[in-house]
Amino acid sequence: MAARTEHDERTHTSPPPARRRGRHPVATAVSVFGELLITAGLVLALFVAYSLWWTNVLADREADKQGDTVRSRWADGPGALDTKDGIGFLHVPAMKNGEVLVKKGTDPKTLNNGIAGYYTDPVESALPWDDEGNFTLAAHRDGRGAKFHNIHKLKNGDPVVFETKDTWYVYKVYKTLPETSKFNVDVIRPVPEESGVEEPGRYITLTTCTPVYTSKYRYIVWGELERTEKVDQDRTVPAELR
Amino acid sequence: MYGWIWRHLPGNAWVRSVISLVLVLTVVYALFQYVFPWAEPLLPFGDVTVDGASAGGAGADR
Repeated sequence: MAARTEHDERTHTSPPPARRRGRHPVATAVSVFGELLITAGLVLALFVAYSLWWTNVLADREADKQGDTVRSRWADGPGALDTKDGIGFLHVPAMKNGEVLVKKGTDPKTLNNGIAGYYTDPVESALPWDDEGNFTLAAHRDGRGAKFHNIHKLKNGDPVVFETKDTWYVYKVYKTLPETSKFNVDVIRPVPEESGVEEPGRYITLTTCTPVYTSKYRYIVWGELERTEKVDQDRTVPAELR
Repeated sequence: MYGWIWRHLPGNAWVRSVISLVLVLTVVYALFQYVFPWAEPLLPFGDVTVDGASAGGAGADR
């Protein structure tokens, strides 16, 4: 009790104000400035935590919800193509990121939900069931679900599988481009000649930003359709995903 | 600055600690809920698309 009384006295009576009054105004200014700098540092650290962790939590939650919506639409078994709420799921075993819902568009509002989007602009994407063309996708490398975080793990020959309501599309990676300009629209052309192909075919292109944690360049992975499989009643996954 | 806030909080050291913690958590919540979502599109860290002109948002212009 005695201690607390003494403490209260110390905090409520004259000594601290007296000490402050005795302080030089420059010293006070420097001290406030230093505390502001420390605060700024802490806020930036929090922003990093927000970008790399918290947005993932939010985006994964939203992606799960949207994925469940599509899964429940498909629950009655394979059937006619159904692209409402999302055209299907991308499975890339080498990226170890589970399944990624794919929707139309690559605007931030779409991609920030922890899903991948197919391009509508500047070059419109083909869709997997089109006879020929380039199925071009974008997703985040870091934060917002970071669905393409491990894109650098993809090597030539790795499978990239796209699942729609009624078909498995199995692509094989044939070329990666670890760094290109963000203005390089040629990489998503219907015939992506930059990858070394000249004939129209059924291609897939994954794009995301690189190096990790920045958006300076773009990382590109190209694949070509190898085969398709009909989805059966149990949605048995193709051999590549087992 | 922080010393000034501490001196102006009511109660003894324990009460002040609890109030300080609540204040800190409020600030962190405000940052995560309002400030960071606002700031994020203004910074060039989230652009993943190839685009001749603009990928949408100010980030693409940098």
